[in-house]
Amino acid sequence: MPPKGKGAAKAKIPDSKPSEPQTVLQRAQQVYEATNPLEAAREQHGLNGLSTVERTAYINSEFVSTGTTDQLGKKAQKELWKQVNEASIPPRKLPKPKPEAWGKDKYGRNIAEYGLEQFHDRSDKILQLATLKLDSKEFRDTRYRASRKLKNGLTGESYVLTDEDIEAEKERRKEMAALMDDLYGEKMGSYSVDPAWDDVVPIPQTEPEGALAAIAYPEDYAESTSYLRAVMAAKEYSPRCLKLTEHIISMNPAHYTVWLYRFAIIQHLDIPLLDELTWLNEVSLDFQKNYQIWHHRQLLTDHYYPTIAGTPDQVKRFASSERDFMMEMLIEDAKNYHVWTYRQYAVRKLGMWDEDELRSISGMINQDVRNNSAWSHRFFIVFSNPAYATEGSHATEHDPAIPAEIVDREVEYAKEKIKLAPQNQSPWNYLKGVLVKGGRKLGSVREYTEQYVDDLGQDTEQVRSSHALDQLVDIYVEAGEKEKADLCLRRLGEKWDRIRLGYWEWKRTTL
Amino acid sequence: MFDEEVVPSTATSRTAYSLPIDPLYTAEPPITDDLISVTSTAQGNTVDQCLPLLKAQDNSIEYNIHGVPRLRRRKIINYLKLTLGQLPAPFVAADASRPWSLYWALNGMSLLGEDVSQYREGLCATAQHLQNDTGGFGGGFGQQSHLATTYAMILALAIVGGEEAYAIIDRRAMWKWLCALKHPGGGFQMSVGGEVDVRGAYCAAVIISLLNLPLDLSSDSPARAAGVTDLFAGLDSYVRRCQTYEGGISGKPDAEAHGAYAFCALGCLSILDAPHRIIPRILDVPRLISWLSARQYAPEGGFSGRTNKLVDGCYSHWVGACWPLIQASLGESASRQPEESPTLETHSFYDREGLIRYILSCGQDHSSRGGMRDKPGKRSDAYHTCYVLSGLSSAQHIVTTDTLRVEQVANVTWTVLPHPGDQIYDQEDLLNPTDPVYAIPQGAREDMMNFFLSKPGF
Repeated sequence: MPPKGKGAAKAKIPDSKPSEPQTVLQRAQQVYEATNPLEAAREQHGLNGLSTVERTAYINSEFVSTGTTDQLGKKAQKELWKQVNEASIPPRKLPKPKPEAWGKDKYGRNIAEYGLEQFHDRSDKILQLATLKLDSKEFRDTRYRASRKLKNGLTGESYVLTDEDIEAEKERRKEMAALMDDLYGEKMGSYSVDPAWDDVVPIPQTEPEGALAAIAYPEDYAESTSYLRAVMAAKEYSPRCLKLTEHIISMNPAHYTVWLYRFAIIQHLDIPLLDELTWLNEVSLDFQKNYQIWHHRQLLTDHYYPTIAGTPDQVKRFASSERDFMMEMLIEDAKNYHVWTYRQYAVRKLGMWDEDELRSISGMINQDVRNNSAWSHRFFIVFSNPAYATEGSHATEHDPAIPAEIVDREVEYAKEKIKLAPQNQSPWNYLKGVLVKGGRKLGSVREYTEQYVDDLGQDTEQVRSSHALDQLVDIYVEAGEKEKADLCLRRLGEKWDRIRLGYWEWKRTTL
Repeated sequence: MFDEEVVPSTATSRTAYSLPIDPLYTAEPPITDDLISVTSTAQGNTVDQCLPLLKAQDNSIEYNIHGVPRLRRRKIINYLKLTLGQLPAPFVAADASRPWSLYWALNGMSLLGEDVSQYREGLCATAQHLQNDTGGFGGGFGQQSHLATTYAMILALAIVGGEEAYAIIDRRAMWKWLCALKHPGGGFQMSVGGEVDVRGAYCAAVIISLLNLPLDLSSDSPARAAGVTDLFAGLDSYVRRCQTYEGGISGKPDAEAHGAYAFCALGCLSILDAPHRIIPRILDVPRLISWLSARQYAPEGGFSGRTNKLVDGCYSHWVGACWPLIQASLGESASRQPEESPTLETHSFYDREGLIRYILSCGQDHSSRGGMRDKPGKRSDAYHTCYVLSGLSSAQHIVTTDTLRVEQVANVTWTVLPHPGDQIYDQEDLLNPTDPVYAIPQGAREDMMNFFLSKPGF
């Protein structure tokens, strides 16, 4: 409706050209003011600052915009519209711009405060992203059609997806990821940008409200475990899953589930043992304290052993390479419990009861005569050797099947090592273990043991090993010499091993 | 917790009349060998790091009249509270053991007398999130169920208590899952496809007994194919196969004796039957006692986990908690009335003073961080905080059992009371008692058991 009257209410309405807007919000504000001259004047001068005509026009326009004019009488309506027309109020007015209407950028800044150039730049990027998304959709559609061997309804040609298409899509995803990050701070992980993973819908971890000890996962970890959950649920055992497990293990080797899954993949794909071991050895050296690595290794050995069991040479070669790697690990930590436990398993599985193993262990004991793990392993390989040992004989009990010369040899070995450092408990424990296993009397080492103790209970008393004194207790008890045993126990509690007084005292009550 | 009147007077008495400390805890042992090796060097360094703390020479630490540092109870509670909150990115390494974090923090707080019921709701939500339909709890969301994390989660639920918490556990699925883990050799796999070891034996026994699960093996259990029909069948002989020539217990047959597995073995056996019956039947007890006793070193006072390894605060629990079970296996306390033999009643197989000195001097993280640790030079963590405190509680209390009267395993009554008389720690530093077998507050264990005892079948 064109205005009929004109020039009636111009006095205070700002008519000078406003200055160039600096920000998005300023520009919107100016457009708003241009379509709302009365409102702008009121905001600037207040209602009382307007002329009577302006004030009337303003109030009328406000009233008209409420849409309740039909509640007035006919006459009043007519008068109202007349005044409105005369005031030439713009027929449409924009709402007042709200600073939050443009949203925030990834830094939390209101986009309304952007400079105009910056804003155009952003708009361009949004457009660019939209285009890329369309192209990407096209790619996916084509791939879908190609996989179904569909034909183009118009041309009759088959849909094909070339390597170039895939490469182009990879590039496109990278651009999209960069734009998503730039515009919204949304990181597209390495899996979501990889077309090879498009068919997987990741299962993200959502913490329930109030969850305890929740971890703020790095994005990389959160994304890859989301894909892990998805492929595990789908029971997928493929090369890409193998790579995924590798990635997760590199971030958290204690993730036992991923290890078990990895082994299942290896079985399905029949991955060559050497390939897996090469990778595993590196991981093992990187994560010394890890538990899962060694169980994985055991599963691998169990899995492959049947394929080499018929060829003793191959078994021997494998055993020897396993030993080499374990020795490499034990250089870092000679008492690594997981490595030793695997070693005991490997000896049984691969039949490593040979001289090489014994020599290897002797070498380790020579390096550190206090390395109890090595002593413990020695006991195992000597006294569980199926060539002579009784199957299932307990470590703490006599096995009559052990040849006497082996018992002799080990007794001598322990004695010789005790001499190097008599206060070292490892060979003492070993000696006792050998004697019990061999069914020998403890008295058979009485003289040897007494060497380490002089003039017990006298002023000139000398004790070079509290473990010798401990062993003498058992030797004297066996010989029925209770008083001597009691004296040893008293001297242990009073002087030579006081921290164990409670134990020595209890033992006295058992004499 | 700290009575304002007590603290200043203790501080004054410390400076005025501090008592001499037995050189057992402050001087090199009477015999050392000259031969140097990697082991002796590491041992020497550890002693060097412990001695200034044991000698009460650090002026920044508040010692009592016995030269023992005060337990920084508030600090430790606050430290544990932090570990239940949102954890930063480096904790990704703990992503497969979340239930452990929960158990360590909640058990530690319970020992310190902190009310943990405020965590019930959060714990229930977390537990539901980690439970699998196929039974058991995973280490994290979407992870396979694992015996260790299931054990930890059930203990955590027991600690906060309440039917709402108990009701979360799907017992039928749990039973089916345990049947799948049962190994024909008697032991348990830690997870489907996982390793078999003594931890599994203990965790399974704890879970089965707390939840009152049926012992019959399901028809599809792989162990059934090998002729095993009972969840507990062959478990004791599996444990037996883990005793080594040293007398201690290894994680698996053929391996080296290790303190943590000793507790798992004894705990498992004490659930299968009354300790005085089953432990001497299964294990060579005198050799086990000898080995356990050799775990304590002087001057440190703490326990090591293996022969010729270093002391570590966590063995205050793993080794320390073996002693009440050993004592019960000997039928000692039950066969003698306290008034007849008061000395034996308080007789200890190990040096309590030494262990308590180690824990409060070397096992506390004296920095502003708080919490408990492995040894001086190491930072505190939730694992060590839980087990060092558990060991301290065990050292502060006497356990007696009614072993001779009972025939039923569930009826073994363990009485845990504070050691009477003067102690080297201040009365305010006395912790709450802990259950000798289940390593949670006794009341929490009883409540959960009673709840499930009323639910035979599913």
